[in-house]
Amino acid sequence: MRLLLVEDEIDIQSFLRRSLEEAGYGVEAACDGRTAERLAIENPFDLLIVDLGLPDQDGIGLILRLRELGVRAPVMILSARRSVDDRVRGLEQGGDDYLTKPFALAELLARLRNLLKRNRPSTAEATRLRVLDLELDLLRREATRAGHPLQLTQQEFVLLEYLCRNAGRVVTRSMILDQVWGMRIQPDTNVVDVHIYRLRGKVDGAGQQSLIRTMRGVGYVLKDR
Amino acid sequence: MSSKTGKRPMHSAAWRISCWATVAFALGTLVVFVFLHRFVADDIQRRSDAWLSGEIGVLGDVAQRTPNNALYGRVVGEVAELAAREVPNKSSKSSSNTSVFFLQAGQDGSLKLWVGAGDGEATLAAIRSAKIPPDRPTDLRVQGFPIPFRVACIQIGDGSHIYLGLSERDELRVLNKLRLRFFLLSLSLVLLGFGIVFFTTRRMLSHVREIAEAASRIGLSDLHARVPTTRRNDEVSHLAHTLNRMLDRIESSVHQLHTITDSLAHDLRSPLTAIRGKLEMSLPAVADEEHAESIVSAIEELDRLNDFLNKSLDVAEARADALRLTRTETDLRELLRVMIDLYEPSMSEKGLRVRLRCDAEVKVNADTALLHRMIANLLDNELKHLPLACSVTVEARAAEDAALLIFEDNGPGFDPEVLQRLFDRRVKGRDSNGHGLGLAFVDAVARAHGGTVAASNREGGGARIVITLPIAPADQAHSAVQSIAGSR
Repeated sequence: MRLLLVEDEIDIQSFLRRSLEEAGYGVEAACDGRTAERLAIENPFDLLIVDLGLPDQDGIGLILRLRELGVRAPVMILSARRSVDDRVRGLEQGGDDYLTKPFALAELLARLRNLLKRNRPSTAEATRLRVLDLELDLLRREATRAGHPLQLTQQEFVLLEYLCRNAGRVVTRSMILDQVWGMRIQPDTNVVDVHIYRLRGKVDGAGQQSLIRTMRGVGYVLKDR
Repeated sequence: MSSKTGKRPMHSAAWRISCWATVAFALGTLVVFVFLHRFVADDIQRRSDAWLSGEIGVLGDVAQRTPNNALYGRVVGEVAELAAREVPNKSSKSSSNTSVFFLQAGQDGSLKLWVGAGDGEATLAAIRSAKIPPDRPTDLRVQGFPIPFRVACIQIGDGSHIYLGLSERDELRVLNKLRLRFFLLSLSLVLLGFGIVFFTTRRMLSHVREIAEAASRIGLSDLHARVPTTRRNDEVSHLAHTLNRMLDRIESSVHQLHTITDSLAHDLRSPLTAIRGKLEMSLPAVADEEHAESIVSAIEELDRLNDFLNKSLDVAEARADALRLTRTETDLRELLRVMIDLYEPSMSEKGLRVRLRCDAEVKVNADTALLHRMIANLLDNELKHLPLACSVTVEARAAEDAALLIFEDNGPGFDPEVLQRLFDRRVKGRDSNGHGLGLAFVDAVARAHGGTVAASNREGGGARIVITLPIAPADQAHSAVQSIAGSR
């Protein structure tokens, strides 16, 4: 996977490049719109990460220009602005995604994976999810652990499904709030944690291997190994 | 909009203006008529007086010269008849002329000669009691005749008086006709004038109303929109242009404020992003539990700092009425249901109960993301400050023209010291560890939507916060703004 990182802040660019490379991406970086445009035309990228505040032009303008030039790769928009521009919403509806700074690296990586998956030719949607001995029947909305049915509420099932789809990868609290409850808020209480504790109480029974792990300061991960 | 004006025209300014204009117009016409009437009446009287004076002179002359014999009566009578024929006798069908009479009274006051309708006794009696001066004609009422006569008098050589009377019937008929025509004409003119004034002022004022409505909608939703203008160069279009120029200035200062907060946010967020990213990357490498713990708490502090930054800027923008909203039609009941689902486990973990009271859907036209953050703030507050075993009731209902969102608990309530300044920035309870922005942010969001927040302590104990939000406007009002914005 090759991606183009367009970010003018050297500090941010360097740590992003490092963590993206650690996550297995091939990263090319540009500090301004002109360089980005040249690179995007010369090389086929699978994904673009574009910061909106570029020194020479507006990030949205760059994205629209690249689209005009035939660049089809999905775009992850990074914004330090306070409000989400209508044009960003337009792009989001067109299949791109945005993230406001500052963000958790885990969240960026998860959203990048989603973007790539969304833009890959879709395979038939699975009706069952399986992580180790945990099994989810998405049609009947039923979950079993080692063959034993789990008594989950509707909400808990959605939460577990989200964790399963991201098994082995860290999901942050704000990702959970966004994906499971559909809201971008930052509560300063432990609302998400309590949901996870309850879910863990049902999923990780006595004597079983603990599947849902807390990554302090980052989020949660459903173990797949 | 025009349908609204059409419903109750009696209450409109156009109606009042046209009423006053009509009264002024009618009074003016009346004054003109009074002058005209007097002028016409005087003129008619002057003419008849001139005729009477002339004729009485001739008759006196004839009476004086005619020898006082048996033929005297016939000769003078003939002359009087001749004179009477000069006056048109329209009303009477009989041959005898009722509009003119000739009377000669002897020195002793006896009736010497009479030419006219009837026997002249009644006329003589009237003349005797009225005392007609010899130099100018006077009015005389005669019993049996509804209309007075104009009578001229002359004394001839033998000491007898000659009276010539002309009925004022024609004069009155002319004046009556004048009055009737004037009345009909002025009535139609006044009605026409009323109609014209009413419709022109209504049109003009409906334009003013459109401007006012558009301006108030712009204040609530879209600063890009402008009030409707016309091509005419009158005061109303001047008003519209002035308002639009004012909106230009407001938009530009709001834009400037956004630029400032944006660049402030950008300048603070970029280093925050870099610091957070670096901390996060170093986390897996740290094997030491104690070190990892301090990095984690540093990340959490950074997140809190970022949250504080966002809320401060939101509150600052809302105070300047410049918070940017992305409105969609939202059902408060559904939104609350999801949020309470999210908060319920944490609440019950702390021994608190939370209940939603809402019977029907409550539609508001609001920025859903901001509503989420506002309600999360309020629920976070309850979660942090309520003691064990308390309960929270969240209620949403549609009142007359606003949606009400009510948070009630049975906890200790607000500290009376801070209750007055609750929605100010950085006000917090004594044992609060928050940054004191929570309720200021709630206030900011409500205000940005054109709503209000009120906090009080309930009588039975506990806190109560009431938020009003304007109810989702009817589609047409919304589309009107769109069309105004679109026509520019």
